[in-house]
Amino acid sequence: MKAQWLFIGFIGIAGALLLPSFLGIFEKKVDYNTQIKPLLNKNCIACHGGVKKASGFSLLFRHEAVAPAKSGKPAIIPGDADASEMIRRLTLTDPDERMPLDHPPLKPEEIDLLRKWIDQGAEWGNHWAYQSVTKPDLPRIGTFLSRLGVTVNDETDWAKNEIDHFILDKLKQDGLKPSPEADRATLIRRVSLDLTGLPPTEQDVTDFVNDKSPKAYENVVDKLLQSPAYGERWTGMWLDLARYADTKGYERDPGRKIWRYRDWLINAFNQDKPFDQFTVEQLAGDLLPPRTDGLPDDDQLIATGFHRNTMNNDEGGTQDEEFRISAVLDRVNTTWDVWQGTTFSCVQCHSHPYDPFVNEEYYKFVAFFNNTRDEDVTSETPTLRFYKPADSLKIVDLKQYIQHSAGNPKQAKAVVSQVTQLIRTVEPKINSHDFDQYVNASLLDAKYFGFQDKGSVRIKDVTLTGRPRLLIRWGTKATDASVTLHLDKLDGPVLAKFPTPKPGKDTVQMIPLPSIQGKHSLYMYLDSPKMPKDWVQIKWVAFTPILPGQPQQAVGEKDKELLAILNAEAEQTPIMLDGTGDLARKTHVFDRGNWLVKGKQVTPDVPKSFPAMDPKLPKNRLGMARWMVSREHPLTARVAVNRFWEQLYGTGIVETVEDMGTQGIPPTHRELLDYLAAEFMETDHWSVKKLLKKMVMSATYRQDSKASPELLAKDPFNKLMARGPRVRLSAEAVRDQALAVSGLLSHKMFGPSVMPVQPDGIWQSPYDGDTWKQSKGEDLHRRALYTYWKRTAPYPSMVTFDSPSREFCQLRRLRTNTPLQALVTLNDPVYVEAAKNLATYMQQHGASPANQIQAGFRRIMLRDLPAKKLNVLVQLYKTTEQHYRQKPGEAENLFDQPGLDCSIITPQLAALTVTANTMLNLDEVITKE
Amino acid sequence: MKNLLDELQQAAALRATRRHFLHTCSTGLGAMALGSTLAGCGFFDKSSDQPNSVGATLQSGEPSAPHPSQYVPKAKRVIYIHMAGSPSQLELFDYKPELAKYNGKDCPQELLTGKKFAFIRGVPKMLGPQGKFAQHGQSGAWISDYLPHLQGVADDITFLKGMHTDQFNHAPAQLLMHTGSARLGRPSLGSWVTYGLGTENDNLPGYIVLASGGKQPDAGKSVWGSGFLPTVYQGVQCRTDGDPVLYASDPSGISRDVRKNTIDAISEINQQQYDDVKDPEILTRIAQYELAFRMQMSVPDAMDIKSEPQYILDSYGVDPNKGSFARNCLLARRLVERGVRFVQLFDWGWDTHGTSASGSIDIGLKTKCQESDQAVAALLKDLKQRGLLDDTLVVWGGEFGRTPMQENRDGQVLPFMGRDHHLDAFTVWMAGGGVKKGFSFGETDDIGYYAVKDKVHIHDLQATILHLLGFDHTKLTYQFQGRPFRLTDVAGKIVKPILV
Repeated sequence: MKAQWLFIGFIGIAGALLLPSFLGIFEKKVDYNTQIKPLLNKNCIACHGGVKKASGFSLLFRHEAVAPAKSGKPAIIPGDADASEMIRRLTLTDPDERMPLDHPPLKPEEIDLLRKWIDQGAEWGNHWAYQSVTKPDLPRIGTFLSRLGVTVNDETDWAKNEIDHFILDKLKQDGLKPSPEADRATLIRRVSLDLTGLPPTEQDVTDFVNDKSPKAYENVVDKLLQSPAYGERWTGMWLDLARYADTKGYERDPGRKIWRYRDWLINAFNQDKPFDQFTVEQLAGDLLPPRTDGLPDDDQLIATGFHRNTMNNDEGGTQDEEFRISAVLDRVNTTWDVWQGTTFSCVQCHSHPYDPFVNEEYYKFVAFFNNTRDEDVTSETPTLRFYKPADSLKIVDLKQYIQHSAGNPKQAKAVVSQVTQLIRTVEPKINSHDFDQYVNASLLDAKYFGFQDKGSVRIKDVTLTGRPRLLIRWGTKATDASVTLHLDKLDGPVLAKFPTPKPGKDTVQMIPLPSIQGKHSLYMYLDSPKMPKDWVQIKWVAFTPILPGQPQQAVGEKDKELLAILNAEAEQTPIMLDGTGDLARKTHVFDRGNWLVKGKQVTPDVPKSFPAMDPKLPKNRLGMARWMVSREHPLTARVAVNRFWEQLYGTGIVETVEDMGTQGIPPTHRELLDYLAAEFMETDHWSVKKLLKKMVMSATYRQDSKASPELLAKDPFNKLMARGPRVRLSAEAVRDQALAVSGLLSHKMFGPSVMPVQPDGIWQSPYDGDTWKQSKGEDLHRRALYTYWKRTAPYPSMVTFDSPSREFCQLRRLRTNTPLQALVTLNDPVYVEAAKNLATYMQQHGASPANQIQAGFRRIMLRDLPAKKLNVLVQLYKTTEQHYRQKPGEAENLFDQPGLDCSIITPQLAALTVTANTMLNLDEVITKE
Repeated sequence: MKNLLDELQQAAALRATRRHFLHTCSTGLGAMALGSTLAGCGFFDKSSDQPNSVGATLQSGEPSAPHPSQYVPKAKRVIYIHMAGSPSQLELFDYKPELAKYNGKDCPQELLTGKKFAFIRGVPKMLGPQGKFAQHGQSGAWISDYLPHLQGVADDITFLKGMHTDQFNHAPAQLLMHTGSARLGRPSLGSWVTYGLGTENDNLPGYIVLASGGKQPDAGKSVWGSGFLPTVYQGVQCRTDGDPVLYASDPSGISRDVRKNTIDAISEINQQQYDDVKDPEILTRIAQYELAFRMQMSVPDAMDIKSEPQYILDSYGVDPNKGSFARNCLLARRLVERGVRFVQLFDWGWDTHGTSASGSIDIGLKTKCQESDQAVAALLKDLKQRGLLDDTLVVWGGEFGRTPMQENRDGQVLPFMGRDHHLDAFTVWMAGGGVKKGFSFGETDDIGYYAVKDKVHIHDLQATILHLLGFDHTKLTYQFQGRPFRLTDVAGKIVKPILV
């Protein structure tokens, strides 16, 4: 019996030992993604990749790698490492021949691995993040019985939700244990700052501490998710991605009004607009089905402001087309950065050096964005217009008139739609920089067309069928001048002759034209004998159908009403709008990324490494946006989940939030990321609130952030999350918190950006003399996200705390710790004012200095100061009070402001102010613990 | 070798501790950070994990303490003068009489095939040198009449005429020059130096940036960022108007005494917090608050040039009431005198394409030279006269060179004379701290198109600067994303022929 067992055992062992060496069938398959790709990226791909293909050999795609190189033979022969030139070159001794050239040779075990991989067929794998998300199983924790709830177990006891299963599983592998839950005051402060960007009030804390129900914490979370401040906080994050600013950027950097987009974000977050819809509206809101009159709702148009936050160059002499293209490319790059965590911009000039994208695919993607009507025009057209109430009434009247007067409902609908689009967006139109064949004419300041006496110009290829009205926006100082409009040639038939507008502001005029069929070029000729040197400047022209019931050859009553509306003053916000018909644009590959050298024409499509677009989707921005949020798309949900995680925990599951490609840092908890991404898409239907709730409800999130020396040594950056997050507050939160706890914060939401106190000399606007006009009243104390953002000179204290300049999309703020930050929170007048206010509060909420200090600290940190720390502050208070007793003049200086009642200035209040200023600078105060 | 490094580490640790102790007794600040050092947060044993001695004191909460170099340094500090936009080497240093002969002729096709320029399109014309060249000093250095003052100090300078780079746009080229990588996110040269050497002055940042010319360099703050190095090593920009550092003034009614008490209280409470939660960021914060306090006094003092005698102001050509490049040169001297390790000057406005008078090589470049020449020469003389030039390295240059062809933006003739960005040849010069005096290294071809002899890449320049400061550029590393990173990435050769 025993011998038999031994015998069987022997066979088993022999088999196990011999088979692989004979047959190799049990040899472990080499994994391309984890074992080979890193080796290639590190050692080979710089010379044999998407940028350089030294000796005609590239390792980026399999078909390239196994194809014949310059030498005529392939460097990799799948299945035969010995015959593969690549292996030979790695193992040579002659330094001129051996690869990698001029670098240390690969280690023998690395070469063995490559050899094995080639022998196994040299198969390429798809990078993990480019494979569709599948929902992984939950790792088991605890024991069988504890999972059933029969017995008690530390693990099952600790875990609150699925997140904790993944975290705990990894911790166990590393021999670590999670930390206990943070105390309630710390926890509510953490979750409030995370979800709303503001600290909780003392009442919130008392309610929480006294809430004995098991749902106490969940109640807090639900309340925070419902708070209007929630939307403001997450908008703050999104503004970096949208490169939102209140100026246009580049050298002149003049103002831009696009705050309605910021307000749209706040509402979108607060209404928990599902992330897929949130995405589609921002990328393609203008292409969504119209509700009634030809265009989608205002809200969906405003949402497209996301991509109108690109910079606009108003500098004289710059070519609009160059900067139009640069904005289009920025939109492509930003879309990939924000939703795909992929550095697509590399592919503009060459195939991606590391990731599987080829050059042409970049331009196919550009084609999705290349058709918008914005053309770097100074007016930022196209914009959505917001009329004054009286004008809005006129618009309603006009629309009703059209509906009643049109021949049939279908025709009525078409005209209403076209007129409404014209009124709301002043599109479609031809910007005057597109005119050509100038005679005695110029593109003035490289912006708008202008001509002088006997000057002429061509408007090329206009479809005139059914459009017998010319709308023209123009202005001049000349008088007694007129323009003739010729068909097809400069001396062709005269279609119209009309006087230039009265000197003064630009006006929109309507010129009736005869009915003409087909596409024609038109020529304008200026006759201005009286003031021949004065420019007549044209901003744009448009050719439109005639309103029902209006005379063909004259401007009728309703025409005049339309003109009055088009000339009315209206607030505007930039939007995206696609060109159609004559205005549709073609896209070409740019040779080596150079916009002047046009290559092959391309049509819109998505890169081949990703799931193809559903054939039912239109091949435009809308289809692209819907493709991006489809269930099969591998990146969108992962990237979004990772970003929200990073906001709460301080570091992403993939630390390089900006790069999920092969050059990014591998995820610490890949299954968790996939689990959350799958839940986000399926179970939670892209609800950001549900996603965030899941994260903050986890035991992982609720852990105490204290670190033992052992834990610190083992996991200094808390990648395994055996403790809670402990990170410095964001620029916005540092400021908002100081204003909130001192009682200064205004909770006013929305509207144009504000200008709080800022030192002199920050703005240098040599061209337009823009100045910082300090706001008044509560606008001085609005939340940080409402602060006016000038790209070339951002609000200094925000930049000191790591806000980006927002010229381009910034995906991750690196957190710094510098002496300049100390100077801001110590000395910036905003923080001094906060300290004074807090001091007044402290004075009213305690009899003794110790009580007053406790009251102030509770207001900030929502818990009591431990005795030792209190002692330090009481000592500081006493010394300082003594100081101000001796030098009352200094106390007066501290409170020097007009209209202040001098009698309240006491050494006590001054000393409390200094103490409050000190408290607002404590590490624990500017940190989320 | 290992023993030597260990010894250096010990020496650094002991010095830091001792200095720390003295410092604590004399000012009362930082007492708590000292406590933590002595309580054993792994000062000695931790440091052995580091690949070299630097970074050891990172653990101590006193990361800017001075460290010894890896080997004997020739330079202790650097003044790096970056002419942002890139001056034309062909008008200033790289004399090409042959190029004059081709002036106005079409550029030969072989110089254009396969090349990419920022603005040149089609076939541009060649453009002869606009400066008048002569040899100067004992060394016979070629310097044009654009820089008359520099001619007078030619014998203190080593010219690197065979410089070349990989980047032809300003921002990436500036990033490559200062961070060793054209992409955002790597530490700058000054950060590596302060990381390696610490600062000699506790009251000033170790790395100070001064900008002139009305604009920041194109690559923005990233060219003095600390990348993945701890942020205490990032450059601190000082302004020349208003508070030299924003919010450096105490609020009205808060005296220095009161401020000192508040900082003491903040540090003490933060130390208690550190003892409790053990987050090392708290130690950095303590150090930063103390530095902030000291900076409030020392920065305005260092930046106040009114205390300089008139003859010094005159020698630099400084108007004490106005911010200017000349003033920044004088400030640079004052800062290195006070022990600042790395002073980075940026002067904007050297991008001379020929699109406007101020952006041309015949007018704009001349003006920029006039505005800066005297001050640069005065700086070298001033440093020399104070005995500082021996161990202060001065570097002057742009981010790339300029083409021997006249720019023809969009294929059109431009109104002024200008040259496009050029990768393949430019000049950088160095003086002081361990480089030869009156020396020229590297040559370009007859028309200055390619560097052909003794070429120096950006990484070579960086390796050489680090070498002069006492670092092996392959060993000054920082562990990040699972691998050691260094300024020169995987490249860089020390330019030995220029060393003393």
